[in-house]
Amino acid sequence: MSTFIDGLSLGSIYALIALGYTMVYGIAKMLNFAHGDIIMVGSYAILTTLAVNGHPVLAIIAAILVCTVLGVVIEKVAYRPLRGASPLAVLITAIGVSYLLQSIAQLIFGAQTRPISLVHFEPITIAGVTISLSAIISLVVGALIMICLTLFIKFTKLGRAMIAVSEDRAAAKLMGINVNMIILVTFAIGSALAACASTFYVMQIPNTSPTLGSMPGIKAFTAAVIGGIGSIPGAMLGGVLMGVVEKISLSIPVLAPYTTALEFSLLILILLVKPTGLLGKKRREKV
Amino acid sequence: MPVKTNRKRFKFKNYISYIVIALFLIISATLALTGYMNRSTQNLLTQIAYSIILAVSLNLVVGFLGELSLGHAGFMCVGAYLGCYLANLLHTLIPSKLAVLIISMIAGGLIAAVFGFIIGLPALRLKGDYLAIVTLAFGEIVRTIFKNQKVFGGALGLSTKKYGSTLFIVAFVVVLIMLAVVQNLVRSKHGRAITAIRDNEIAAKAMGINVTYYKLFVFIISAFFAGIAGVIYGHFTTPVLYSFFSYNYSIEILVMVVLGSMGSINGSIIAAALITYVNFLLQTKLSGDLAALKYLIYALILITIVIVNNAPGLTAIKERFSIKRFLSKITAKVYKPKYDPSKRKDDEAYWHRIPTKIQMDEVLSVDVTPDTTYTPDKREEK
Amino acid sequence: MNTMKKVLALVMALAMCAVCFAGCGAKTSNYAANNTEFFIGGTGPLTGDASSYGISVQEGAQLAIEELNANGGLNGITFKFDIKDDKATAADAATGYDTLYEAGMQASIGSVTSGSCDSFASKADEDGLFAITPSASAANVIENRPTVFRVCFGDPDQGYLAAEELTANYTNIGAIYDTSDPYSSGIYEAFAAKMAELNVEFNTQTFDAENKKDFSTQVEALKDCEVIFLPIYYTEAGTIAKTAAAKGCDALLFGCDGLDGIAGQLDESVTSEIRYITPFDATSEDEVVSKFVAAYEAKYNRTPDQFAADGYDAVMTIFEAMKKANVTDVTISAQALCEILVATITADDFTFKGATGEMTWDESGACTKVPQIVVLNK
Repeated sequence: MSTFIDGLSLGSIYALIALGYTMVYGIAKMLNFAHGDIIMVGSYAILTTLAVNGHPVLAIIAAILVCTVLGVVIEKVAYRPLRGASPLAVLITAIGVSYLLQSIAQLIFGAQTRPISLVHFEPITIAGVTISLSAIISLVVGALIMICLTLFIKFTKLGRAMIAVSEDRAAAKLMGINVNMIILVTFAIGSALAACASTFYVMQIPNTSPTLGSMPGIKAFTAAVIGGIGSIPGAMLGGVLMGVVEKISLSIPVLAPYTTALEFSLLILILLVKPTGLLGKKRREKV
Repeated sequence: MPVKTNRKRFKFKNYISYIVIALFLIISATLALTGYMNRSTQNLLTQIAYSIILAVSLNLVVGFLGELSLGHAGFMCVGAYLGCYLANLLHTLIPSKLAVLIISMIAGGLIAAVFGFIIGLPALRLKGDYLAIVTLAFGEIVRTIFKNQKVFGGALGLSTKKYGSTLFIVAFVVVLIMLAVVQNLVRSKHGRAITAIRDNEIAAKAMGINVTYYKLFVFIISAFFAGIAGVIYGHFTTPVLYSFFSYNYSIEILVMVVLGSMGSINGSIIAAALITYVNFLLQTKLSGDLAALKYLIYALILITIVIVNNAPGLTAIKERFSIKRFLSKITAKVYKPKYDPSKRKDDEAYWHRIPTKIQMDEVLSVDVTPDTTYTPDKREEK
Repeated sequence: MNTMKKVLALVMALAMCAVCFAGCGAKTSNYAANNTEFFIGGTGPLTGDASSYGISVQEGAQLAIEELNANGGLNGITFKFDIKDDKATAADAATGYDTLYEAGMQASIGSVTSGSCDSFASKADEDGLFAITPSASAANVIENRPTVFRVCFGDPDQGYLAAEELTANYTNIGAIYDTSDPYSSGIYEAFAAKMAELNVEFNTQTFDAENKKDFSTQVEALKDCEVIFLPIYYTEAGTIAKTAAAKGCDALLFGCDGLDGIAGQLDESVTSEIRYITPFDATSEDEVVSKFVAAYEAKYNRTPDQFAADGYDAVMTIFEAMKKANVTDVTISAQALCEILVATITADDFTFKGATGEMTWDESGACTKVPQIVVLNK
């Protein structure tokens, strides 16, 4: 039971990261490999603010601001010039940005793992099961963010413009939608989500290092694909699934060393059964 | 431009890469065997050789078949572990190092080819980024499994017997053989079938091309050579460590392919050699405190090259200040065919502009009406 | 157009050849012939996941070199130190080794991590170069390699020691180790073997490089244990300590020398007592240690960890041995220096007192020193 809750809370982090992936993919049609590293930057923003000021709320706000600005800057400098180029070229730039962020972080903050004490909650015991409060908070907030995001996309003008851009960029342009602006906003939202993810990340795993983002990034990407890339509930579902599977596998000693293999096998199995992920849209092809 | 004929005739340009590499091999082998080449250069050449093998074999999948693969290091991992394990066993039976190397290369390649077949199967069902993540997953699964096998040394890695610094000669011979195989494949009817699948799978199917067969075939060939590269890697250094074959390395190979421009074998060779060389320089020149700058410089080079090469907005500027144009001005006097970018023919292949499979899916799917980004008309707009 | 491309390709390829050969010279038997300083080299992960270990070693070694040179070096000859990045991979360690060796490296501190040090040491053994690794503790690094030594404890020894220590005092024992790390699995295997020999049951949980951020599952499974054995590094152990606090688990956390530096990872929430066997204790009152710690803190503005101390000691050991053998020739070849160093260091009367205690070596390359147990958070 406790393992399950741990899995849920880890899954909620994956889900938040996956949401960023899936939004950017759905709208800009590109895999933003630097997304994991934006989380890392967020965690350093928290670290720095805590060192300067010491107030957790301020730190979270700072992280969101820094990440949003960073996301916008990356989009403008590295991805905007490549609009219309081959998706692989964009992919390679994203990888370049990822390396860049990691090395800058190492140059500024050093390679050492730095502890972060954002907030500390006393563990609570419900029906004999001890649960850390931060796990529950991240789960609840993660679900809230997902709901807000879905509502935002469904019921606001900006959100509907996003759907339009993701469905058909050319038609959206003809309808008077500023496609570049929408993609920029998507990056801003995706990066802000990454900042939220990094907040919950350092709440549960209270330290950071320049390579913090790479593995959660790749797992969240996997989660986004499992759920069906481009689908918001899918990202949430995929993230939670990944988290729970990881935790359950780790809790079984025989399976534990093979956890990564198991998670990725799950992905392959799901894709073989449903080639566009659990909640992905099916696309027909014609000549 | 040579006169166009339908008959097959000897074209110098088709053989230029063999000649360059063969010449290079002869010169460097002579230097090495007479003791005029230092060991670090020989080892750099080995690294360049296996990078070339990896890049060209990945190019088969990404550039010619049009499927994005992020798990190439996984095939290399299989080849390295199993091939070198076999080599360790053979060393007790066969005294000749070269014989052991050759046998283990073939064996490693074959086993990797089996894995290529296995990974080719989902490729029949999955498209684009979904296939990419499956190949990435495959790479991670493979190395996780090897990591946990005590037979292969577990976390300590598999100890191998190093071949010695003349390994690069063997490695470059493998490069030549592979080039012969790949060039002939690409220029044969099979090669055209494969590019037809890339350009339009459904149309290719309608033309009677056996898509299943060719997709599996490409994955198998590609994995075979990656496995051989793995065996060479294992003979280059000991131990074979699972951590080396992470998705980051697959991506590095992909970078070579993309920078060399997809679908260009010579491009892959040059890009693989240059990237390996740049990495070598960065690693050996930036030591101590400067090491942290390594990735910074690498990343900046990468981003700059990609943006300069691919940004649609920069095309006009590029043509104006192109080195090629500058060179052509110089060479025009000595070299017969005049090169003038403004007289470029329409049918000339622009490999990096030809939409990949992934883009084709976008164009072809029902949900997306033809997008300005992907229609051929877009090219004229610039 | 196409021909043009091919010509361009040809030109570039030829340029490559030219570039490649530019660095080549005739084979020399002694690369150190032009040295004006004694050249000590090494490789370590200075970028990537393991970079914190590599950078600590680099800083410790650099400190030692500066200290030596400030004191006039050896017989008036100063020392030069260079460490290449190997990203903890075997191939890059080999490349780094070749570059250093051809640049005139005369003695080395090997590599930082076990995997790359295996690669480095195999080359050092072939060439007959002296290597004393600060931190590559896997047994196979020094096995059958007469020129390779180490400063740290070997993995199996720590495992045996921990098993004896724990079984003597506790009954309900758990362990968490990293299956992807040679150091961690090396200690654990020895520990498990010893426990089997002593016939004591214990629970094990594992993690690996891909899952080394979140330990809630492992701690949950072991929360009823009296003591949890952690043969891992301090960053992960720090997270485990905090997770244990969050889970309301008060078990004693017991580790090996990798845990050194954990004090910097803890916050007020941690309730568990932490003990570890280590040759180095930054809070020690010992004169050599406190001098090292003060100098390190002054230069790098942080407390040195065991890796830094090991790096410092590795360089200092080379120096002490050279001083004892009174090496005066700055252009001495790596092979000649190696013979002298091996003979000196394995001699019965050679002991060196460094930041990690008083050390002696034997022919196997292993180091003998007295471990101490550090207690935190009592």
